[in-house]
Amino acid sequence: MYRSHRAQRFKHAKSAASRKAEAAFIRDKYPQKIPVIVERYPGELYLPFLDKAKFLVPQEMTMCQFVTIIRDRLALSSSQTFYLLVKNRSLVNMCATMCELDQDYKDSDGFLYMTYASQEMFGSYWSRFVSVPGKTRRWEPCGVATQFPGTIADLV
Amino acid sequence: TDIVAVIKNDLITFPATLTYDTLRFADFEDFPETAEPVWILGTEYSALTDKDEIFADVTSRLWFTYRRNFSPIGGTGPTSDNGWGCMLRCGQMIFAQALICRHLGREWRWVNRKQQRDEYYNILNAFLDKKDSYYSIHQIAQMGVGEGKSIGQWYGPNTVAQVLKKLTFFDNWSMLAVHVAMDNTVIIDDIRGLCSRSQAPCAGAAAAAEAFPNMDFQRPFNGYPSGANSSDDMLPWKPLVLLIPLRLGLSEINEAYIKTLKHCFMLPQSLGVIGGKPNSAHYFIGYIGEELIYLDPHTTQPVVEPLEDFLIQDESFHCQHPPCRMRISDLDPSIAVGFFCSTEEDFNDWCNRMRKISQDKDALLMFELMEHQTSRFPDVHCLTPDFTDSERLERFFDSEDEDFEILSF
Repeated sequence: MYRSHRAQRFKHAKSAASRKAEAAFIRDKYPQKIPVIVERYPGELYLPFLDKAKFLVPQEMTMCQFVTIIRDRLALSSSQTFYLLVKNRSLVNMCATMCELDQDYKDSDGFLYMTYASQEMFGSYWSRFVSVPGKTRRWEPCGVATQFPGTIADLV
Repeated sequence: TDIVAVIKNDLITFPATLTYDTLRFADFEDFPETAEPVWILGTEYSALTDKDEIFADVTSRLWFTYRRNFSPIGGTGPTSDNGWGCMLRCGQMIFAQALICRHLGREWRWVNRKQQRDEYYNILNAFLDKKDSYYSIHQIAQMGVGEGKSIGQWYGPNTVAQVLKKLTFFDNWSMLAVHVAMDNTVIIDDIRGLCSRSQAPCAGAAAAAEAFPNMDFQRPFNGYPSGANSSDDMLPWKPLVLLIPLRLGLSEINEAYIKTLKHCFMLPQSLGVIGGKPNSAHYFIGYIGEELIYLDPHTTQPVVEPLEDFLIQDESFHCQHPPCRMRISDLDPSIAVGFFCSTEEDFNDWCNRMRKISQDKDALLMFELMEHQTSRFPDVHCLTPDFTDSERLERFFDSEDEDFEILSF
């Protein structure tokens, strides 16, 4: 199950009515642009935050161009992963225009919501407690010891 | 019993190896009796009648697991990769499969306690846990520093793909072209350029030396036995390893991708998929029904040192129990899909098959195939936000929030 509420803080910070009014206002004022909300996936540990979440994007801008702008803003190298997801799917068609995406994925409140994320890293919790001097947040012990198969005495 | 002895033994010397890894050995069950096909790396089997063939195929894959007691990485680093090396091991497995396809062929089978072909020992030697093996845990962990990963840090599928791509620069026996397709997009022109570029055998290493000035390039040979040199230095088309890092959902895989994911294991060019369950990396080699079949690196084995003449005690590098399975829907959304195309015809065939899959309306595409990179990247500087007065937004409707950023051409 996709838990959309976790990914959409903008949506939860305001009532549907005020979001609707805001989208209608901005679409009326800028009929050639699409109001897009771009948010960082709450589980994301590696990509930086954008300083702004709200964009007015030209209708004819392609997905590829938009991704290039966001990648540039986040100062990512070409070998770093960056995925923009809408409704829990990665946007694959890089030629699609914002206008097309808007038609397919616009929320009922009038905004187009996107979430960005990189890739997960893999390792076992146990490694947090061994010798490796890691510096990422992943290494912080946070009560995961309960996930391990009991004590040594239980096993032997 | 034996398993308790193993655990006790582990505890005395290596308390950190006491994970459920050791205990998981009890979990292996044979394939279910089902009429549904089993697909392993592009080959179809019947679970009812082909059990021996399936087992022979799975056992022939190189199985890399956590190891302990290898020489310290970087001279003073860890001597075991237990707990952190699982994605690095999966990267080794998918890459070893590419080398098997390259030098031995997809049909090659391993037989226990039998002298194998020389190429097999060359391949295995390239993955042994020592600093001068081409694709050793030492090389991968150290090359990862360039990707922002300190030694012992966890990797993702893309991290290990990027590192392996760099390490192939030095492998002048295999002469591979490695392409890591970013942004869910495979650009056919890029791959044609990469594979058909005629290169002198050492040009790759020279380019790499330039690209990574801090690396140790003084090694006298390539990590293979000295006899292992490419006889076909001037291939018109370099064999292609194509790795595609993807994210198939945020917290869970979007089930609309499952059909397309299964297709990947049905293509003859399949190298499988690296990914995992949250926190545990696996090398997925196929599927049956709604389950993925995988090799699991989460078993800690002692290091294996090569014997004289580059012979290697190789039993522990092959998984000799039924392979693990898990529900496809439990797959972590972060994966990398791999393909091997030995020739240009093979690559054209792969493209045609991918185009066919993309016409299937019920399947959600995982990545896009594009002929050219046509005006994909605009001049970013033309797209700076437009803050002219006329376009500036009034703040009245939204006093608490930041304003919109207006993008214009």
